[in-house]
Amino acid sequence: MIKLFSVKEKQKKDAAAINNPKQSAGELRMQKDMSELNLAKGTTISFPDGKDKLLHFEIFLKPEDGIYKAGTFHFDFQVPTSYPHEPPKIKCKTKVFHPNIDLDGNICLNILREDWKPVLSINSIIYGLQFLFLDPNPEDPLNKEAAEMLANNKAKFESQVQAAIQRGAYIGSNHFPPCR
Amino acid sequence: MTFDVEIVRWHAVASWTWNAGDDVCGICRMPFDGCPPDGKYPGDDSPVVWGVCGHAFHLQCIQKWLQSQAQTDQRCPFCRRAWEFKAAAPSS
Repeated sequence: MIKLFSVKEKQKKDAAAINNPKQSAGELRMQKDMSELNLAKGTTISFPDGKDKLLHFEIFLKPEDGIYKAGTFHFDFQVPTSYPHEPPKIKCKTKVFHPNIDLDGNICLNILREDWKPVLSINSIIYGLQFLFLDPNPEDPLNKEAAEMLANNKAKFESQVQAAIQRGAYIGSNHFPPCR
Repeated sequence: MTFDVEIVRWHAVASWTWNAGDDVCGICRMPFDGCPPDGKYPGDDSPVVWGVCGHAFHLQCIQKWLQSQAQTDQRCPFCRRAWEFKAAAPSS
């Protein structure tokens, strides 16, 4: 008898899955993006709400070279249902001393705002983020302190960033926990 | 020797395709011969259009994009050149 009920429950569930309300355009496009996803070595993706909730995911990016080498940086992606007509909203969850990322995790990357266009994809955004770590841009900064140090004393900037990544460190009055 | 054949019934089949080179729309990534997410039927219901720059998109996709941009700044999502609808599809 109990078994019979569980079978019925399962049938109900299956029926619900089939009658699933139509996927949004954003979800359809995200399926394409995910099937074409091409992550660099050391970069990983995860779906905290489950693999059927494609509109929310996390990227863990590990630069293989440059000032931020060996650090692991966590990004949270919220994809709107209007994607790709609007870009995903991205926050950096790892506290990092970077001219183009502020201490709240806001990111200054042109393709996430004024230069977004719908032919771009999740792949292009991840390339953009990788580029930001390989070539931080001290002009038009979100974190002025970081931009000034990078522009005035690149060697000092690099050693402070590496100290923060490896062991955690104070830079100015802010503490940056290790993130290797 | 000749055969005297009488045709009782015949059944014509035709196929069509958009003459759009690349096989998927750069905006929705769906085939040009299929429908964009808002389209119901392929073909005349989901037409493909070209810009003068030579890039093609589903009409629904490019319209939605252009509507979200400033009237004075309508650009091709591929090459960022000024967007202008091309009069007719190029013939091969």
